[in-house]
Amino acid sequence: MSQHNVETFMNDPIRFFDRSITAMHEIPRDELESLQRGAMARRFAQHRESIAMLRNLADRLGIKELREFDDVVPLFFAHTAFKSYPASLLDKKRFDLMTKWLDKLTSYDLSGVDTRGCDSIDDWIDRLDAQTPLEVITSSGTTGTLSIIPKDKAGATYNMELWKMFLFQRFGKEPTAEELDPQVDVIWPNYAKGKLGHLRMAAMLERAFTGGDPSRFHALYSEEVSTDLMFLASKLRAAASRGELDRVVIDPKLLARKGEFEAMQARRPAEMAAFFERCTAVLASKRVFMTGAYNLMYELAAEGLKRGVKNVFAVDSAILTGGGLKGFVLPANYMDVIREFLGVDRIQEGYGMSEISAFHWACDEGRYHVQPWVIPFLLDPDTSEPLPREGVQTGRAAFYDFLNRSHWGGVISGDEITIDWSTRCPCGLASVPIAHEIMRYSEKQGVEDDRISCSATQEVKSEALRFMQEFEG
Amino acid sequence: MSAFRVPLFIRGELIESDWVEFGGRSSAGAFEAPDPRKYADRLPLASPMALADLHAVPFDEILDVLAELGRALDFAKNRHIQQAYEAGLAASNYPASILKQSYIGLPYVFGREQVREVAESRIGIAYLDGWKSRTLADGRVLNIRAFGARALHVPAGNGGLVSAVTIIRNAITRSDAIIKIPSNDPLTAMAIARTLADIAPGHPLTKHLAVAYWKGGDTAVEEQLYRPDKIEKIVAWGGFASVKHVTRYLQPGLELIALDPKRSATIIGPEAFDNEETLREVAVRAACDIGVANQEACASARVIYVLCGTDAAGLAKANQLGEEIYAALMKLPDHISTVPKSFDRELRDHLNASRMAEDWFRVIGGERDEGAIIVSQIDEPVDYSPLLSGRVANVVPVDDIRKVTDAVTAYTQTVGIYPEKLKHELRDLLPLFGAQRLTSLGYACNVTIAMPQDAIEPLRRMAKWIVEESCDPDKVFPMWKVPGGAGTRRAD
Repeated sequence: MSQHNVETFMNDPIRFFDRSITAMHEIPRDELESLQRGAMARRFAQHRESIAMLRNLADRLGIKELREFDDVVPLFFAHTAFKSYPASLLDKKRFDLMTKWLDKLTSYDLSGVDTRGCDSIDDWIDRLDAQTPLEVITSSGTTGTLSIIPKDKAGATYNMELWKMFLFQRFGKEPTAEELDPQVDVIWPNYAKGKLGHLRMAAMLERAFTGGDPSRFHALYSEEVSTDLMFLASKLRAAASRGELDRVVIDPKLLARKGEFEAMQARRPAEMAAFFERCTAVLASKRVFMTGAYNLMYELAAEGLKRGVKNVFAVDSAILTGGGLKGFVLPANYMDVIREFLGVDRIQEGYGMSEISAFHWACDEGRYHVQPWVIPFLLDPDTSEPLPREGVQTGRAAFYDFLNRSHWGGVISGDEITIDWSTRCPCGLASVPIAHEIMRYSEKQGVEDDRISCSATQEVKSEALRFMQEFEG
Repeated sequence: MSAFRVPLFIRGELIESDWVEFGGRSSAGAFEAPDPRKYADRLPLASPMALADLHAVPFDEILDVLAELGRALDFAKNRHIQQAYEAGLAASNYPASILKQSYIGLPYVFGREQVREVAESRIGIAYLDGWKSRTLADGRVLNIRAFGARALHVPAGNGGLVSAVTIIRNAITRSDAIIKIPSNDPLTAMAIARTLADIAPGHPLTKHLAVAYWKGGDTAVEEQLYRPDKIEKIVAWGGFASVKHVTRYLQPGLELIALDPKRSATIIGPEAFDNEETLREVAVRAACDIGVANQEACASARVIYVLCGTDAAGLAKANQLGEEIYAALMKLPDHISTVPKSFDRELRDHLNASRMAEDWFRVIGGERDEGAIIVSQIDEPVDYSPLLSGRVANVVPVDDIRKVTDAVTAYTQTVGIYPEKLKHELRDLLPLFGAQRLTSLGYACNVTIAMPQDAIEPLRRMAKWIVEESCDPDKVFPMWKVPGGAGTRRAD
């Protein structure tokens, strides 16, 4: 394999695989793994130089280079790496120090960022957007903090190209010209804007799918979710779990916007009605792209069927859902309900996480096929030791995504997944399939457990989680 | 396959039939117990009048029975206790050395002098054994007796001591107890009950004790029990969810005595750095507060505020103290502290992240899940402080004594303080912020039941305080005599 080959493979897999999703997932396992090893070694060498936190970790562990897959395991970041700053920096509006912290997590140089006069998290992120190649995303935490993940604009654009391919092509068929550049109305049953991982996507979808026509982007709610408000919610939740609610100080600037937030809240039923009307009347029978988490899709569909509305869109519309059930309990036939309402012949599912950019699409068998630029790992949930890459294994999911340029792509998740390493997926693809059933360890812990201890440590997690789930849907 | 069986103990009768399986899917702590739904109606005392037999027993006799019970709980000889230990190994987070030690210490708490001290200091034996008289200023003679009540106990399962304390408190107050077995300590209460039945068959103390397992939240069982016609009090330990769950049953006539989940803190004054010898002693004491029972207790130290300042010299001191505490923690003997049996995954992820955020945190140890000290390099604890467990503590340097009140919240139980002088300075202040017990550094987990708990008096709350008055019309104004006109009292 030539060096040129590996470089193209790791930097521009779309070109390497000639824009074909079938080619991406039919590459023989041996050939793929050899490319992946080369890509892993190269990307690590680059990131070791450009990402301070990775370098520190590698130095501490004495890791100078990566050769075999398992070599990367000790270098994985957990989600906690993206919130390792003290949350008090946000309270104190020390965005200079926040920038310094973020600088050590990203391959870009942030030393020139001007944070003077910056007085909110949204303001800070807007400045990073304007002054750097970054387009950071946030996710709410359970410990009174926000994860801040330094994604970049170039990666976002590239990812949308990939999304297009996976949404409109079919495995096993050569893509048609139309499939390569579809333009559709985008239906987004969510908030129109925000810096939370999935809300950032709204703008990306609008850019990528509508041919640049904003009137073809249809969001459920017009508002932008304030990151500062999300941070406050996270803080309140954490404070409640620590018995410190009496000490929470609300930023006066945020408090001044209370009326604005309440007005948004009050507008929601009307916006919901208008959105529903637009979908079922104006956009009826059109070919659309619609995406949302299971529970959002289900609620919309159930409401529609209740009103006697079904088969709303063109049968070849692209529909994507995923994101786990997040503690929501849906009836067993929820996918049928969604399908009946939308009137499409297939609904695609995918598996991804904020900390890496890759999105793994489900095949017709409902298994998520790992993208070629991602090396999957299963770890022992207690020791974090890698499990053998053979047979059927269940463990804690970890991934190394070397397509990620702006931050280190080695991430250990909180998910329990199952991979059959040795049997080819019945769908026929050669790539590694992840079983459809995915469970968060945090959800698993609370189940079937009525152990009682006098110390208040364990229960905080499940308590704090719930609130966030409602928002992150 | 279940590892062991948890029978049902109803007032001296042992039930070993109708087995059903309980416990987590993959947990080693899975066990079988008689179907609780089948026996729930037999658990409560038939009538409150049935407590009469226990109230006829002199307090001295109660002391005698408890003392004999204590002697019979000898770990080396008592098969029930040995089984409880084995079940605890499977069901709890404790390693063998620590668990064994807790059983070896059990007979002591049942000792005659120990129980007498608890009864005398927390209630007063005169109130327990009969009517205690006092003449009030208005002339009436007030006679008060502390009666027992029908109570249901939901004890914590972290250590067998909680079950022992429950049984002792029940005996002292001459109450009737239904003990709901915690799944993380399935057999200790059962072992004590069975031993009691062995040494005092038919004794009123034996007849007023029921021990059973049902799954917390099983309404089919709980709705039959948690009713004012069956019980008058619920004593619920720990577990936010479990205490909150109990509140749904509360109504007039049914009282909750909540010993809810708590956390504890530590405050160390600048004197700790007076000399090397003092620093080492402070470190050993702090390590003891962290490490005892592998930090599973509510009294265990987690966040340690140190009045050393946050300038370069202050941080150097905090880091040095952190190193010393870690070293001392690793040297604690096995019977009080070991490498934890399991380690919280989320906490491990946070530790690894803090290790990378060296501008703000220094993490000492923790790479083998053996325990760790995180030294904050700012005057704030880590954001994940509620997760601290498995012998992981956070040293937080602060500049000012005013900042140490941050250590104390509505959830705080114990505050270990060094030196004594600082404790005296803080003792009128910290309770206002939530602290419930201030103690000398190194004694956080060294507790006795001869003191209030969680800022309440559980023994006094468990009793029913009954009043009998004698009013002599010559001494106490008789309202039916109306010399000066309706409703007015004579002015002379």
